[in-house]
Amino acid sequence: MEILDNLLLGLSVAVTPINLLFLIVGAFVGMIVGIIPGFGPTAGIAVLLSLTFSMDPITAVIMLAGIYYGSMYGGTITSILINTPGESATVASTFDGFPLAKRGRIGPALVMQAAASFIGGTIGVLLISGFAPAFANFAKSFGPPEFFLIITIGLLALIVVMGDNKVNGAISALLGLAVSLVGVDVITGAQRFTYGHPELINGIYFLPVAIGLFGLGELFYSIYKGTHKEERKQAVSFKDKETFWPNKREWSESKGTFARGSVLGFFVGMLPGAGATVASLLSYSLEKKVSKFSDKFGKGYMPGLVAPESANNAASAGAMIPLLTLGIPGSGATAVLLGAFLMWGLQPGPLMMENEPEFAWGLISSMYLGNVILILVNIFAIPLFIKIMQVPYKLMIPVILILCTIGTYSLHGSIVETWIMLAFGLIGLFMKLYNFSPAALVLALVLGPMAEDTLRQTLITSGGSLGIFVQRPISLILVLVIVFIVVLPAIKFLKDGRKKDSSKDISL
Amino acid sequence: MKKIIFFLLVIGIIATGCSSDETSGETSHASEYPSTENTLDWTIAFGPGGGNDVMAREMIKILEKYDLYEGDIVPENREGGSGAVGWGHVHQNIGDPYQISTTSGSFITTPLQSDPGWDYSDFTHVALMATDDMFFMVSGDSGYETIDEFVDEAKNKTMNIGGIGVANVDRMIVETFGKEAGIDYEYVSFNAEGQLQSALMSGSLDAIVANPSGVIGQIESGEMNALAFSGLEPLADYPDIPTFIEEGYEVNISMPRGVILAGDVDEEVRQWWIDTMKEVAETDEWEEYIQKNYLSENILYGEDFTEYLEETSSTFNNILSDLGVLEE
Repeated sequence: MEILDNLLLGLSVAVTPINLLFLIVGAFVGMIVGIIPGFGPTAGIAVLLSLTFSMDPITAVIMLAGIYYGSMYGGTITSILINTPGESATVASTFDGFPLAKRGRIGPALVMQAAASFIGGTIGVLLISGFAPAFANFAKSFGPPEFFLIITIGLLALIVVMGDNKVNGAISALLGLAVSLVGVDVITGAQRFTYGHPELINGIYFLPVAIGLFGLGELFYSIYKGTHKEERKQAVSFKDKETFWPNKREWSESKGTFARGSVLGFFVGMLPGAGATVASLLSYSLEKKVSKFSDKFGKGYMPGLVAPESANNAASAGAMIPLLTLGIPGSGATAVLLGAFLMWGLQPGPLMMENEPEFAWGLISSMYLGNVILILVNIFAIPLFIKIMQVPYKLMIPVILILCTIGTYSLHGSIVETWIMLAFGLIGLFMKLYNFSPAALVLALVLGPMAEDTLRQTLITSGGSLGIFVQRPISLILVLVIVFIVVLPAIKFLKDGRKKDSSKDISL
Repeated sequence: MKKIIFFLLVIGIIATGCSSDETSGETSHASEYPSTENTLDWTIAFGPGGGNDVMAREMIKILEKYDLYEGDIVPENREGGSGAVGWGHVHQNIGDPYQISTTSGSFITTPLQSDPGWDYSDFTHVALMATDDMFFMVSGDSGYETIDEFVDEAKNKTMNIGGIGVANVDRMIVETFGKEAGIDYEYVSFNAEGQLQSALMSGSLDAIVANPSGVIGQIESGEMNALAFSGLEPLADYPDIPTFIEEGYEVNISMPRGVILAGDVDEEVRQWWIDTMKEVAETDEWEEYIQKNYLSENILYGEDFTEYLEETSSTFNNILSDLGVLEE
């Protein structure tokens, strides 16, 4: 009952005409920010932060939360439309999202991504309102050993997303790890492969790489193959049930995925630093493992889009847990929000929910409202996005090229990163031609440095002993999960190995 | 169809608008400085939302509110290479009186660590406005109430002490304290505040150094304890948390938060900015900014700021060379 009281208090604070107006503004701005490749929630919130200083803190945070949520919805749209993830959390959404669009199921794909985002976000907020303080203790028990193991599970999951050619997939992932070595070594401060260029001191950022590999790579590939000259599929409209709304089969296939993706995403999102990328990746590979039709994944199968989408939105809700209950920012975007709390004179920390219930619960209730507004905005905006797909691809090419270039340049105003994007565009073309996996490269680039830092932090604290991984309870559970993931297929392989020579299991 | 392309272009324009790279026009004589025809190019050498960004934007807000600067001011985040990119940009525009920037610890440590083509002495020093000092934190259930208890326990075991970064202020505080106290410790470096704090709470670390504004909530709830403060004076809001020096450990390493111009600008321009920053320092807004962000007010103008930078740079150089984190 206390939860209901709290929520009612929150709603009474959040539901004023002014707040609703700013929530809608925030959600809309967030969606647009999410659509621009390279311009994610962190930058969106940071840029608009200065506008909010003169506002009432509750109104301001409701608007910023709207941007945060909106960009999570919008970020997937380019993944589906032009195969270009706007942030690392939506890389996994390209796996089935883009093939769906190519098959002409663009309307249903966009509806389902909105539905998955809505369900993921809503389940996330329900879990926050019900159990936030209990989860705080869970988030608190994560140190470097646990992070390392979670990221290792993420890296193992790469095997699932690599596609059929496991050897090429492994090479792609290793390429990603190699690129990730550039920059300052966080433990010793030594510079690696920077060749004296200050632009490389902070390493090669994954977004120019992702935009190049996916956005430009796809574009070069279609020019190379000549597919850009083909006519587009028929138009779709609201009234056209068949091509706009997902059909019954697509709904029923995705039922379990919604729930599993949301819960998994929420828990992974709660861990500071692991976040939405690992969540979307784990959710995708979990679905592929439990599905009876695992060979359909990657070819435009609806649950393959629903899994990462429900997970990354639930993760962005999960990331609010350490922020609200511990005052610890779990992601770049929540770190900027934390800075905003301070500027408004709020004191984030374990006592914030007690000391500032109106603020905390106002924020939580605004998340419910934000999700409702966003699913409506999304569904009404779909015909607009679908129209983009009707434009002949040869006319879209210059536009995509401009968007990718501007998006990359606007990240840090760096011309070096723009060149990096262009170079990876060419690499992306060859990876596609020779059946390598751009997704494995990008995800290894994101996860590799996290794995390296956390492993080395762990070993420094344990004085070099690996025993630390089995001495801490949560860490021990994670070790067992990894053993299970690695050993089970290995046993299966040894059993069936004689019968058929399957290249699939070798890389495990 | 055209509409859609138009729509996409509009999105593109919005994206560029957020990072438009305006130049500050040609260099003019300082006689009528500042001329309203030139845009003041304010380099923020770090990303949006960080300490340096917040300070720069606060200053710009004050300059605009009190009409202290009449022309246009364009703040620009030029992040990369721990300040190498941003301050490099200011350095390239040597002699241009419309290039200004705000400093952090990296203003001194980055040129010590790598060779970005400039060091602190290549700029015109206007004013040190404040310093950023740190708390030495342990978790609430560790049982340590004073820094001496921590040092006693450290005689029996190697302590794991965490901070952000390798060759920066966090590291130097830990190193200087470790030497003063004569204890064995391992320094564990992190990239982000969130992971550093959860590593302490999860029991992986014995202590961390942290910026006060990030941990006040944890101190008040008893989740963490602050054993010492690295400033010269205790924070006004937390007089009970002693400084290292009060506890008998000579540790005073701070992050200089000041204002600089490009190198080789006219003395009149520097004097103009010194006078202007004096006015900024007296506003209520500045007072509030210092208090809210738990900075130590420490104001030095012109030559005094230069001297401070010289001293700080040589101190940092000594500590970091001893640690062996500088590549020579």
